[in-house]
Amino acid sequence: MRDETEQDIERIARELRVPVAVGRALDARVMRAVRRLPRHARFGLWSRLITPRTVTVTPLVWGMLAAAVAMFAVLGAMHAGADLNRAAKPIARAFFPGPKNAASTSQRVQFVLVAPDAKKVAVVGDFNGWDASHAAYQAQHRGGGVWSVTAPVPLGHHRYSFVVDDSLWVADPTAPRVIDYDYGMPNSAIVVQEQK
Amino acid sequence: MSVAARALIALMLVAPQAVAQDARLSARLDKPTLVAVNAIVDSARLAKLPTAPLVDKALEGAAKGSDGQNIVVAVRQLSMQMGSAKRVLGTSATPDEIKAAATALAAGVSERDLARLRSASGKRPMTMPLAVLTDLIVRDVPIATATGLVVQLARSGVKDPELALFQRNVRADIDRGADPSVAATTRARGLVLRSSGSGNKPSE
Repeated sequence: MRDETEQDIERIARELRVPVAVGRALDARVMRAVRRLPRHARFGLWSRLITPRTVTVTPLVWGMLAAAVAMFAVLGAMHAGADLNRAAKPIARAFFPGPKNAASTSQRVQFVLVAPDAKKVAVVGDFNGWDASHAAYQAQHRGGGVWSVTAPVPLGHHRYSFVVDDSLWVADPTAPRVIDYDYGMPNSAIVVQEQK
Repeated sequence: MSVAARALIALMLVAPQAVAQDARLSARLDKPTLVAVNAIVDSARLAKLPTAPLVDKALEGAAKGSDGQNIVVAVRQLSMQMGSAKRVLGTSATPDEIKAAATALAAGVSERDLARLRSASGKRPMTMPLAVLTDLIVRDVPIATATGLVVQLARSGVKDPELALFQRNVRADIDRGADPSVAATTRARGLVLRSSGSGNKPSE
């Protein structure tokens, strides 16, 4: 009885030791089956975009980022320096200028002052940073004591004045006045609107 | 996007404007005045008030050779007046309207009258009516009379070009020797009649 059992075990072991013959098409069949399985959500593009991940930033990269910010600020300051003589203008607009047609943001305005004894007349106001040396706002003598200049003025409400001979401040006699006694010299007001 | 990245982008957007403002002011103001003016401008920015008029006010003071203390007082005063103007006109008011309203308040117009004008103007811009109102007051038209007239003109739907012409006519009348109050009242009456009548364009 025992011998018979041992013989059976020996036979089974012999059968198991025989190598299994695998067909060449098995790999392909397995891969086809795998590809038919639904794709796991975490491998989708959207998942990759919205899945939080840890990014390691070296001190060198932080330094480069800081340098970029500093360079941006310095460029802004340089632009501001170049624009000192112009009307208030956000640097963001200097870097990203609007449409080339500037007609919608400013209008050309003629300023006229009768000052027979003047040697020099300039217009200063909110639109040119109150800078009497601004080249675009220097009035020309047209003869007979009439001084005038035509210059662009941004749309909106502005206060302004004439400066005669770099010392005398004169409100525009033809324009609305503003009560501006803060500095003891008169100002005029102008409301520049879009031409329709 | 991480908080750090958002902060970095915000810094890059905001910093250049702040730099520009500092550059314009620092070129003209002494250090203590610059610090005080910048503090007022920063407060105004936080209160969502237009800051350009404050910078312009400081630049004007520097151009006129005013001392630093005077400049700070003027800038602070304007900031307070713009705050009052914005309270009355509401959050939809444009920076130009706030600036013009602040000028009108400085001329003596009350907040109550400002609210009346706002109501009379409806959704039309108030910048020109406020400029004309301030001019009338400067030319010695009594405040109550000037306010009443401009409110009446606004209520009648008088347009900005007509208002500008009204201002020029009143100024010319006063220059020729007319009583300011009579000149303004007479010209306003004519304008209202024209506006409510045939719709003819006004003429000098």
